[in-house]
Order: sequence, then C-alpha cells, then structure tokens
Amino acid sequence: MLGTVVIENLSKTYHTKQRKGLFKSIPRDVESLKGISLEVEEGEIFGLLGPNGAGKTTMIKILSTLLLPSSGSARLNGYDVVADDNAVRATVGCMLMGDRGLYWKLTGRENLIYFGALYHYSPADRKRRAQEIIDMLELGDLADRSVETYSSGQKMKLAFGKSLINDAPLLILDEPTNTLDVPSASELRAIVRQKNQQEGKTIIYTTHIMAEAETLCDRVAIIDYGQLLAIGRVPELKASLGREHITRIAGVIPSKAVEAVKALPAVSQATLGSVDGVAELTVMSHNGADTLARLIEVLGQIGATIQKITPQDVTLEDVFIAKTGRTLAENTAVETGAKK
Amino acid sequence: MTAISLPARKPGKASPATLVSATFATVRARLLIVSRYKGQLFNEILTPIVLAAMPILLGRATAGDRAAEVFLANTGTANYVGFMLIGSATFVIVSNAFWHIANWLRWEMETGTLESIYLTPTHRVFVAAGTGIYSTSRSTVGAFVAYLIGSAIMGINPFQGDLLIAFLFILCGLIPLFGMTLFYGALVLKLKEANAMLNLMQWVVNFLMGVFFPITVMPAAAQLVAKLFPPTWMTNGVRSAMLGVGYFFGEWYLDLAVLWFFMLAAPMLGIWAFKKIENSVRRNEGVGQF
Ligand SMILES: Nc1ncnc2c1ncn2[C@@H]1O[C@H](COP(=O)(O)OP(=O)(O)OP(=O)(O)O)[C@@H](O)[C@H]1O
Ligand SMILES: [Mg+2]
Repeated sequence: MLGTVVIENLSKTYHTKQRKGLFKSIPRDVESLKGISLEVEEGEIFGLLGPNGAGKTTMIKILSTLLLPSSGSARLNGYDVVADDNAVRATVGCMLMGDRGLYWKLTGRENLIYFGALYHYSPADRKRRAQEIIDMLELGDLADRSVETYSSGQKMKLAFGKSLINDAPLLILDEPTNTLDVPSASELRAIVRQKNQQEGKTIIYTTHIMAEAETLCDRVAIIDYGQLLAIGRVPELKASLGREHITRIAGVIPSKAVEAVKALPAVSQATLGSVDGVAELTVMSHNGADTLARLIEVLGQIGATIQKITPQDVTLEDVFIAKTGRTLAENTAVETGAKK
Repeated sequence: MTAISLPARKPGKASPATLVSATFATVRARLLIVSRYKGQLFNEILTPIVLAAMPILLGRATAGDRAAEVFLANTGTANYVGFMLIGSATFVIVSNAFWHIANWLRWEMETGTLESIYLTPTHRVFVAAGTGIYSTSRSTVGAFVAYLIGSAIMGINPFQGDLLIAFLFILCGLIPLFGMTLFYGALVLKLKEANAMLNLMQWVVNFLMGVFFPITVMPAAAQLVAKLFPPTWMTNGVRSAMLGVGYFFGEWYLDLAVLWFFMLAAPMLGIWAFKKIENSVRRNEGVGQF
C-alpha cells in the first residue's frame, strides 16, 4: 500500500470568469483534467510529462489534497485524497511551487523546524530531523542564514529538503528543476535518484522537459489538454513508434515547410521548432534514407536554406510529436467552454 | 527494495499534545519573523495613546472644567481619561486581532506558504490559533504599556478598582475574539481581499464596542447590535471593574457569564465557517491563488 498511487477517472473543472473590461465578465469553465486513470507502483520514479497548461500541476494539487477533484478518485499510500486527507498529508512529501512556500524571513533551519512541528514531531525530533536534512543536502552554513539571502538554486534545494521532513514513502515533485541551471538541476536529480534507490521512495516527478524524464524516470505518463496520451516505460514508448525514422533539419526554414513535407507519402509527422534561435524541422518518416533525397528536394523548392541534417534516435519528445503533431515548446492554448 | 522507515507514529493521527505544540511553534515562528522587522512595537504603543488623546482633549475643549461632571452624569464615572484610555487600549487589541489574521492570510497566500501549511497534517485552525495567540499577546502587551504611559501623561492612577476582575474580563474576551477573527479570516480566504474590509470593520468595531462613549448613549437598536459583539462586553467589564461605570446585568459574574457563552459560541461558529469556506475554495481554485 505504502508508496503506491491509484488514480481513477480523475477530472477537474475550474469555474472562472472571463473578464470583459472593468465590470463585465462571462462565466467560463476550464476543464483541466478529463478523466485520467493511472497507477504508480511502489518504488518507481514516475514521470508526469506534458507541455505548459497540460494539467500536471492541477493533478499534483489534487494528489496533495490542495484541491478537491470534480469527479473521480485518487488513493495515495492506500488513503483516499478526499476521505482520508490528513493521512495523505502525513504520508506524502511534496515540493509544489518551487522556491515559494518557504518563510523567507526565517533561516533554512527555522523553516525545517517549524514545518517539523506541523508534521507532529516532538520539539527534540524536529531539531534532529532538520539537522539530518541539512547534512543530507549539504546545506552547511547556509542553514542558519535567512532564506531571503539564498540564491534561487539554494532556495529550491531547501524547498526539496522541506518535502523530506516527514520522511514519507511517496514524494511528489512538481517541476523541481524549473529555475535551476544545468549543474544544479543534475545535482537535484542525483539526490532524487538516491532517495529512490537507497530508501526505496516512490517518486512522482513532473516536467515538461522530455530529456529530463528520459534520464530519470522508470515510467512516464504523457498528458496533454488534461488527457492521458500515453503511459509506459521509456523504451516501450519509444518502441511504440515502430520503425519510424527521425530526421532533424536545421537552417532557414519557412513555416510552409511543414505542410510541404507532410505531403510526402513516407512522412508521418513534421513539426517546426527552434533550437538556439535556429529553425529546426523534425520529420518522422517510414524509410529514412529514401525520403531524405525527397525532403531536400521539397525544401529546396520552397526556398529553405539547409544548414545541417541529423538523423536521430527516437526520443520521448518524438513520442509526443507523433501523438499530437506539436512540439513540447508550443504552449497548450487555454481551452475553455462557455458555461451551460 | 529497502524497507521504508516511517516516523514512529500513526500517519495523520495527531494527539492533543502535538497540536498544542504545533500551535506554539506557530507563535514562535511569528515572533521570529516580526523580530526581523524593527519598529513595530513602537507603533503599537503609540497608537492607543494618540487614539485616546483625541477625545480626551475634545472633551476638555467642549465641556471645559465641567467635563468630568458631565461625564459622571452620563457614564457613572468622572474619570473620563481612564475611560478613554481603557477604550482605546481594548480597541487596539480587537482591531489588531482582525488585522493580524487578515494580513497573515493575505501574506501567506502571496508567498505560497499557505499552501505549504495546507500540505501538512496540522489543521489550519491551529495555525490560525497560533497566529491569534501571537497577535493578542503582542497587542495586549503593547496596549498595557500604552495604558500605563497614557495614564502617566494624563495624570491619572492606572491601577484602581477591581483589577482581578478586569483581568478576567480581558482573558475571557480574547477567546470569542479569536472565534470572530476566524470567521473574518474565512471571508479573506474566499474574497482574497483584506484592506477594504478591514477599513470598514475598523470603524464599525470602534463604534459598536463603545471606544469613546458608553453604548448606553446609543439608540436602542444599535445597543442591541453592540451587545451581540463580544468585545463590547469585554470593554464594559473592564471599565466597570476599574471605574465603576456599571455592568450591563448589574453584577460582574452575570456579565462574565455572557462572555463565557460567547467563548463557546464564537469559536465554534468561526471554525465552522472557516472549514466550510475552505472546502468551497478547495473545490474550485484552491488557496494558492490570490
Ligand atoms: N485557478 C485556475 N482557474 C482557471 N483555470 C486554471 C486555474 N489553474 C489552472 N488553470 C488552467 O488549467 C490548465 C492546466 O493548468 P496546470 O497548471 O495544471 O498546467 P501544467 O501542466 O502544470 O502547466 P505548466 O507546465 O505551465 O506548469 C491550464 O489551461 C490553466 O490555464
Ligand atoms: Mg505546472
């Protein structure tokens, strides 16, 4: 039971108002989750992937009891998020809003001790637990400085430390590396992995960076517009694309290239993104070598300048592209429906 | 798979001792935070003195030498200076209680710490209680010091009458006050707004609890409303004990019994409203939005 999550048909609709100037507003319903079912097993690192606005945070907030679901149910460590909310809170560690959620006027240690009190530790145990976390994360002298003097990476580390206070068998981390630079992010991932491997903690990890999920997660669920697109082990998901070949073409590429390339019979999917300011066309095709010549020809006809062509292994990002026809960087437009 | 070690306690099962401990940890955290902002206590002492000085001087200006005489006829005490000082000191305690809970909620909403509190198995009512204890102890100390200084400046004896009974009225008045602030906090949670409401509250409270005048000079209907407001009983109790203005029901224990009733009713109503509104907020956008 401990360390497991069972989600059944979970839905969440926000009731909001669409503002029209100063006084007018129209009620709007935003369906953020549309009947998601999935299970997380004990001891796995489970990735929740999706572009901005996919519904990841909404899902995490329901799992952590901050929000009540509109329908459906979720059980964490065997406890229901609605009926046994306090038991869920006691047995789950959460890092939800990055470096927000800490008292900036208090020191790192004072933060940990105070939250220890809210997790019902005795005064002596609070201090001991705070010290354990300080040592574990190698916070050192930082622990006794007020949080407002921390760098954003240090704040994130402390926020992660806060999620460890109750030593829960299940950790929920919502984009924990969001504002971190590359070395800090990989340091944090290493600690997460360590918590998983050495202490057997189950971890739910959301991100919109597919590469991060690939390196860290045992299994991932890809959600988009509040719906589950795919779920499985990373190699399985990649294999699900069959014998697709991925070709990335960088250069000066007009947007009409997408349509032109898609018109080729062997091409199953094409998207245009940009990497470091250079346009990059990702093409998925059934027979790589044969299509390449045709690709170059078509791009030449519409006036594209090709700088680099790279055949590539399938990534999780390609799985997302194959399912949606979009890259992850493209925002999910807010989908709203007028209230009935 | 390695064994998972949970802290040695049943998850989610808090004991009364751990809840009291969490409440006082909150008081401690608030004190630590405020200690890092200087100059606050000074404000707290100055406000009641300035507040009381205005009507005292107004009284001297309009009624001249006969101020005490007129006041005696209307209120039962000639000591209008003490009357005003007690009124403004209790008012500061009451008004601060509302400000503190509202500012606490708004501030924690904005910094995201409110969500952090909601992630823990300690119910928010205990964190609010900690904030309430912090608020009242802080402003009671401030108000008391202000009362002493005010008395010295205006040349009256600060210790007269039945001090023990006066103390009982303050103590018993603080608990219903907490219940009321919880009710008010629930509104802030829902409306995500505090300042406009606080400003209005400020004057309504000031009027109702009879800060500058005995409520017996108010119209009958207004008196009735004022008597539904627990701080009115607190202020009048303290004034009666110290200055002999007269209890509403004639005897101190009868008035105190009314406060005892409020002591049960107001927190119950407050907690009920807070939980109800909190669930409606969780059913929609959650406490993290502001
Ligand atoms: N309080 C709210 N009221 C109305 N709509 C909301 C509210 N909170 C979120 N939404 C909408 O719900 C959808 C899902 O949002 P959510 O924050 O869960 O996405 P996300 O996957 O976490 O995105 P990101 O990667 O940007 O963090 C979005 O369309 C968002 O606009
Ligand atoms: Mg999010």
